[in-house]
Amino acid sequence: MDEILITGLGVISCLGNGVDAFWRGMNEAASAPRRVPDPNAHMDIPMMYGVPEAEVPRAEREPDGQPLGLGSRFALEVSRQAIASAELDGTDPQRIAVVIGTGMGDAGLHEEWRVSGYPERDGWSPTFCVASAVGSLAGAEGPNISVSNACAASGFAISIAADLIRSGEADVVVTGGAEAYSRVALGCFNRLGAVDSRRCRPFDAHREGTVFGEGAAALVLESEEHARRRGAPRAYARLAGAGWSCDAHHTTAIEPEGEQVVRAMRQALRESGVDPSEVGCVVPHGTGTLINDTVESRALSEVLGPVAAKHPLYSLKSLIGHTGGAAGALAALAAVLIVHRGTVPPNVPRDVADPECEVSLPERAVPFDGSAAVVNAYAFGGNNVSLVLQEAGS
Amino acid sequence: MSESGTHITGLGLALPGVAEAADLVSSGERADAPPPDPAERIGRKGLRYKDRATQLALVAARDALCDAGLITPDRERCAAGGSTAVVASSNLGNLDSVCTIAGDIAEKSVAAISPMNLPNASSNVVASSVAIRFGLRGPNLMLCNGVASGLDAVRWGASLISAGRAERALVVGVETGNGVTARLTGVPEDDQLDGAVALVLESSTAARLRGATSMASLGEGVRSTSVAGCVGSLLPYDASASGGTHARGTRSGGAVEAGPGVWFVPERFDLSAPLPGTEGLERHDVTRTFGRASGALGVLQCAAAVSWFASGEATAALVTSGDDGCDGVAGMMLGAPRGAR
Repeated sequence: MDEILITGLGVISCLGNGVDAFWRGMNEAASAPRRVPDPNAHMDIPMMYGVPEAEVPRAEREPDGQPLGLGSRFALEVSRQAIASAELDGTDPQRIAVVIGTGMGDAGLHEEWRVSGYPERDGWSPTFCVASAVGSLAGAEGPNISVSNACAASGFAISIAADLIRSGEADVVVTGGAEAYSRVALGCFNRLGAVDSRRCRPFDAHREGTVFGEGAAALVLESEEHARRRGAPRAYARLAGAGWSCDAHHTTAIEPEGEQVVRAMRQALRESGVDPSEVGCVVPHGTGTLINDTVESRALSEVLGPVAAKHPLYSLKSLIGHTGGAAGALAALAAVLIVHRGTVPPNVPRDVADPECEVSLPERAVPFDGSAAVVNAYAFGGNNVSLVLQEAGS
Repeated sequence: MSESGTHITGLGLALPGVAEAADLVSSGERADAPPPDPAERIGRKGLRYKDRATQLALVAARDALCDAGLITPDRERCAAGGSTAVVASSNLGNLDSVCTIAGDIAEKSVAAISPMNLPNASSNVVASSVAIRFGLRGPNLMLCNGVASGLDAVRWGASLISAGRAERALVVGVETGNGVTARLTGVPEDDQLDGAVALVLESSTAARLRGATSMASLGEGVRSTSVAGCVGSLLPYDASASGGTHARGTRSGGAVEAGPGVWFVPERFDLSAPLPGTEGLERHDVTRTFGRASGALGVLQCAAAVSWFASGEATAALVTSGDDGCDGVAGMMLGAPRGAR
């Protein structure tokens, strides 16, 4: 089977704009949530890891004049970066597809309109507008898919992108995820008592819930054969496998035994032909919510065996918060950089390690010692997806 | 049943004025029928705190799974749930929940919103609720893909099967008509679909092993930038002979051997518009009967094709969603089961 290579990257988050800023931020391992700039955020903890104001992409409109919300603007910015780094010029537009995951899309735009009044030229900006905007930017005339599986959306999107290439429906796919501030999302988590009042603290004994973050990540995927034929400048990594499952248990709670979480990881490893002992790093879903981190820790032990506690985890959400539908893509991009650069950056230190979570979270950079990185993304409704990334050419 | 490919083996409908599949293609304007009542159809248990889109989806999903012989009304947990995927499509599904919550937070505070309503704000609430009720633990996808979303969902259900990620897929298309969706789309409430349609897709092998009956086979799918391009990619058409041109589309899926006898056209498509290659095809716009169907359209059209086959009217059907002013046009061929006329 032809390998699926990642030949372009783009990212924006609270760490700044661009891949270099992201990697630098990963290595500095310091960040803090801020108050959201919404006077109508009538909730106890109106905090999140927002994209710095100076880095917010400029306002844009669709060709028909419809304004684009922040979700779409983030997606456009990172897609521009990814397409530029892949040097995609000259690819047949009918063979380029777009698959974008987002939970709330441009909901923030409507939330604002509901309070401040609708503009003279308004219209409904659905979830789909994010993928649509990226399709226009890329001039992509192949399939255009908007996946909205809540917090696992972009993990599924990346896997679907690979399937599109394998099935012959596209040569190149611009994929990833985007999520911006939404009053509804943050309000709902406040109402559920699922927001940490201090910061995002996955696997910490005193964690109180998650803290949202804004961000987007884009990856350009193409087959090894196509990349070689067009002379792609580089391959950052390859997507070796993916596994999907559904808890079918509860609309908001994870299934406590983690049976389907384990199934997704094992399926991804099996598809990639990677033995658990070869896993050099895991970028977990790890949100900071009490039971999720515990269940994922146990699932990792079950899948990776007795040495699970020694496999370094890179807890991205402790640095950039929980980026909702974009979380899977940002985690995958982090894993790509880890594989490509051969280093697992330092984790944001925990105050007190949770003894229920037997995981290794190195607070200093360590070499990436293995052949594969695993990425997990989970969502409300029990949607689980795991990805396996390896060095290109391995 | 053909030796390969993907087949429709179950059909479930929660539509106004539709008691059985045959009603789908009955001619005439939209019946002045009451909206489907989920509690009346499947009982109140499990419907509390669910939004209308989810309730309608549960009705259609249950009937499709029953129709396929995967569950019974008395035993709803699907024994084959581990290998059964769910792909749901809706563009407007939980919009009323999201907008109501947004307004309540802005005007009051989060204390004004009910925690029980919060799962309904999650974009994948339809797909995950269906999985939870019927124990479907295969891949679970929620598509919000604009006008072509329903047909994309059918294609993705088939793709999950051909990629080996599931043996079968339950594909659900659902939309609701209410004041919020009318305000945001500009479409009057009484011209919006308030209903759901579900299909069970199955590989021929999986269907044969459990003795399931094919209602239709899925043929080639295509995505294009225009209706002409989409139709031209799917129908045998000599462009040079008539001086026309068809844009090439992105193709996928298997082949349907027979030429179509019916064309389920895009929403509010001009039924008399000339289009090379479609001469002699009976045209049918399901949205004139059920209202604008948005993300449910493609699933509804496929269900109508099944109904058409059952009546013996055609051996193949062409289905298209989206028009030239949209982000894209999706098309698919469906074939009648072997033995049908």
